[in-house]
Amino acid sequence: MDNIAVKVDDLTVAYNYKPVLWDIDLEIPEGVLMAIVGPNGAGKSTLIKAILGILKPIAGSVTIYGNPYDKQRKLVAYVPQKGSVDWDFPTTALDVVMMGTYGSLGWIKRPKQKEKKAALEALEKVGMLAFKNRQISQLSGGQQQRIFLARALAQNASIYFMDEPFQGVDATTEIAIINILKELRKAGKTVIVVHHDLQTVPEYFDWVTFLNVKKIATGPVKDIFNDNNLTKTYGINYKVSIQK
Amino acid sequence: MNSAQIEIQLIASLVAIACAIPGTFLVLRKMAMISDAISHSILPGIVIGFFITQDLNSPLLIVLAALTGIITVVLVEYIQKTGLVKEDTAIGLVFPAMFSIGVIMIAKNANDIHLDVDAVLLGELAFAPFDRLEISGVDVGPKSLWIIGSILLVTITLLLAFFKELKVSTFDKGLAASLGFSPAIIHYGLMSVSSVTTVGAFDAVGAILVVALMIAPAATAYLLTTDLKKMLGLAIGFGALSAISGYWFAHWLDASIAGSITTMLGLLFLIVYLFAPSKGVIAVMYREKQQRTEVSLLTFLLHLKNHTEKRERHVNHLQEHINWQKVRAKTVLDLALKNNMITISNDIVSLTKKGNTFTSKAIDYIITNEDTQIEDMKEDFFLFRG
Ligand SMILES: Nc1ncnc2c1ncn2[C@@H]1O[C@H](COP(=O)(O)OP(=O)(O)O)[C@@H](O)[C@H]1O
Ligand SMILES: [Mg+2]
Repeated sequence: MDNIAVKVDDLTVAYNYKPVLWDIDLEIPEGVLMAIVGPNGAGKSTLIKAILGILKPIAGSVTIYGNPYDKQRKLVAYVPQKGSVDWDFPTTALDVVMMGTYGSLGWIKRPKQKEKKAALEALEKVGMLAFKNRQISQLSGGQQQRIFLARALAQNASIYFMDEPFQGVDATTEIAIINILKELRKAGKTVIVVHHDLQTVPEYFDWVTFLNVKKIATGPVKDIFNDNNLTKTYGINYKVSIQK
Repeated sequence: MNSAQIEIQLIASLVAIACAIPGTFLVLRKMAMISDAISHSILPGIVIGFFITQDLNSPLLIVLAALTGIITVVLVEYIQKTGLVKEDTAIGLVFPAMFSIGVIMIAKNANDIHLDVDAVLLGELAFAPFDRLEISGVDVGPKSLWIIGSILLVTITLLLAFFKELKVSTFDKGLAASLGFSPAIIHYGLMSVSSVTTVGAFDAVGAILVVALMIAPAATAYLLTTDLKKMLGLAIGFGALSAISGYWFAHWLDASIAGSITTMLGLLFLIVYLFAPSKGVIAVMYREKQQRTEVSLLTFLLHLKNHTEKRERHVNHLQEHINWQKVRAKTVLDLALKNNMITISNDIVSLTKKGNTFTSKAIDYIITNEDTQIEDMKEDFFLFRG
């Protein structure tokens, strides 16, 4: 196998001492476009947050290209769930995208022309340049999601973690987003997406991880995306017609 | 104006500005209640500090009291983390407990210290100019002016240095953490500034006004702008404006300065709340009325589009057919005419070409609910704005 981009060992994460992720082992190869699937409350968001050091696990470790996350921050971009922020916050689309460049700046230093240029380019890529000065609450759900994607692009990372980027977006936006993700993969980047629509998994992704408190399975979509794993993950008899 | 009057206004304005800066972030973080908690729970810190220093304006007292503020925040978070109660409940549990400890300490030692609860709650700005700071025998001004001035200077320095960090961690805690800006450090930094400011200000303006000065200017500014820097600027301006106008209001009424400033803050908020251009109550009501008219207009246009019979399109019959009250029918008719969407000949209404295209587009939008389609419509018509 090629390079391992993300490696998770024996990861256990708890809220108030109640574990919501048990003993997760996971290897994500470089250059895959991977879906994380599982029912609501399965711990998908928690897994991403633990990998990114936002939550402290009670056991286990995470490495990004062999080193702890703290050392590899600049290689990683993150798109949180859209609902996790207050869209009434007084700021513009461009400003939100600029936030993606803050990581490379570090503490105290302010964004300059270079960062602004990166943000404008990212806005252009997601087709939102015309909205750069729009207050973020004046954007539709799909546009807000594009802004979040642009912010991740502005980070210019190697690994992208996206928490439900298709939530509440229309079909056009969904296609636009998936095309950008596929382009990232083509450029050799690793993209990890929490995804809900099981029907589109084979069409969009080449790698998949089934998660429900424990890891059920991980691997190439063509090998492991089957009724057996779906049933194990969702607990009910699952039948999806997979177009190969 | 005599020098004492100028000094009082200066102190009040600096306090207001020093409060407005952390206040803006507290409001955006939906943590208004925590400033209430801090302002009340620093009381025991102030009393203990006073035992030790015997000086209400000593820097040590400020540090000790601010520490009590931080302890309050930590306690609130600890109780909340147990998952048994929500944040507001945790705040409600902690600060009355802290405050009452302070009250008991004052009562128990009433003979030794001249600190009374009234003064703590309401402050006494009028007396502030009497407590002077002397450096090697030279009077350099009121002590509270120097204290709040220093606090303000530190606050502004921190704001300029960490504006970007404050912004990103306030907007998106998860992103801030993933970028390496520890939200915990920023959170406790903000709590420390809030605590120190509260202690520095309370002597002059009292615990209640401190809360008002932190929250009201920021809440007022929030209604007026969609830009964080402007919001900070407006909050600072509103704070200072209330401080000065409040002073003169008190002067005129011969009333408490702190009370008058609070009244001004409330008044200012009320005015903005009613009249703010886009978020104000009146603007919202106006917009809703407009939208109702616009929906009626669309219904009317659709009716014209669907009915070719003359009978259905006669001006006098519109009412019966679309079931409107007279007034609204007239408004809608005028609106459609003004926008060249209809023509009327021999009392028969017909759609123009423009009206026809508009109706199809609007219906398309309503059915598909796709934003891309209305982007250009927003320009040439007002139906979907806002
Ligand atoms: N901040 C929190 N405090 C306590 N429990 C939480 C918190 N966030 C999530 N949980 C719980 O952890 C579990 C996993 O949540 P999450 O990772 O958000 O699931 P998913 O993203 O798969 O829907 C759920 O049972 C949820 O209720
Ligand atoms: Mg989730």
